[in-house]
Amino acid sequence: MKRVVSVSLGSSKRDHQVQVELLGEQFIISRLGMDGDIERALAKLEELDGQVDAIGLGGIDVYVYAGKTRYAFKDGLRLMEAVKKTPVVDGSGLKNTLERETVKYLLRETNYLSPATKVLMVSAVDRFGMAEAFIEAGCDVTFGDLIFAAGIPYPIKTLEELEEMAGKLLPEMTKLPFHMLYPTGKKQDSRDEEKANKFAHYYHDADVIAGDFHFIKRYIPDALNGQMIITNTTTSADIEFFKEKGAARLVTTTPVFEGRSFGTNVIEGVLVALMGKPWEEITADEYLELIKKLDFKPQVIELV
Amino acid sequence: MATHEEIRDSLRAFQEGYNKNKKLKIMNRDWNRVVLIEANDVESKHTLILKDGELTVCEGATDNPDIIVTADSETLADLFYGDITPTEPYMNGTLIIKGSEDDIVRLDFISLMIWGE
Repeated sequence: MKRVVSVSLGSSKRDHQVQVELLGEQFIISRLGMDGDIERALAKLEELDGQVDAIGLGGIDVYVYAGKTRYAFKDGLRLMEAVKKTPVVDGSGLKNTLERETVKYLLRETNYLSPATKVLMVSAVDRFGMAEAFIEAGCDVTFGDLIFAAGIPYPIKTLEELEEMAGKLLPEMTKLPFHMLYPTGKKQDSRDEEKANKFAHYYHDADVIAGDFHFIKRYIPDALNGQMIITNTTTSADIEFFKEKGAARLVTTTPVFEGRSFGTNVIEGVLVALMGKPWEEITADEYLELIKKLDFKPQVIELV
Repeated sequence: MATHEEIRDSLRAFQEGYNKNKKLKIMNRDWNRVVLIEANDVESKHTLILKDGELTVCEGATDNPDIIVTADSETLADLFYGDITPTEPYMNGTLIIKGSEDDIVRLDFISLMIWGE
């Protein structure tokens, strides 16, 4: 029996545990929300270190990417460095593979994406692989990193501009407390009414809204008009939530176990536990090969 | 220790950097704020006014600023000349910014857009 635990800075209301069999191996996968309390998260990580097969860090990014440049959040590194024995991952290694593949899958297997598709990525530096895949598909993409993380109504339209902005801003902004740039803890349970109203047109103008679930949820307008949502970490209640908002379809990039699409940090933790080698040595091709072996595919849920 | 005049000159350099950046002006069209800049080791107060994307610098304090930026004179001059970034002094408490978290992030953003790599 292998045990993978995700320690999340998110709300404990979303805690859960499942048991699954993968490639003949039994896994217990748990998610523990720390309600935005970074000290509590550090204590939990120290307690779990050496006791489980892999640890995922949820509700926080350690690494984000723009082009070939990697930026590390100081708070994320602090959490990662608290774990000395057990492999610890934040999902960024897998995101590049899995989420790029999700776009390719939708292009290959469905007619939901075309060069005419308008895509709003609520944030792209945490999903650069997906961002590149949308651009490669010829979609009209709006990167909302400045809009939703910094409240600046400036849509970034190209990967080049995204990289330029990231180069100016991220070396310093990653030193700020993570909660200043991303909704953690109780903020995940509520909507930012002011920004949701102010930035509603970015949602309404898009055919596809993609990216981090908590960003999408925190700034979602009162009603959508038939958009497709591409995200993960959704529960059955979240599916109902998107349905009520008027989304037409939900695509989850990670596999669903017992009605729940897990975060990439959890799935990366599972893959690392299966491979039994340090995550720093795992290549994108190795992830891809294992994903195929496990038959992990995006799940498409029709909401209307 | 920097003088009032040095802080004023640093703010003018900051204003010049801001005004040269057309993209930054567009980005801040929605952000109308009054920012009080005060030194805590010399008598020096300035007011930055952001309105419709334009930035002006005035000598002296103002009533009811949206954001108050306080630091020693050397840190303020270094900061507005772009010799240091605001993040580190903010995180170690040398630079105190009173305002909403969103406004603090925005101010950090403007500084990085002017002086960032």
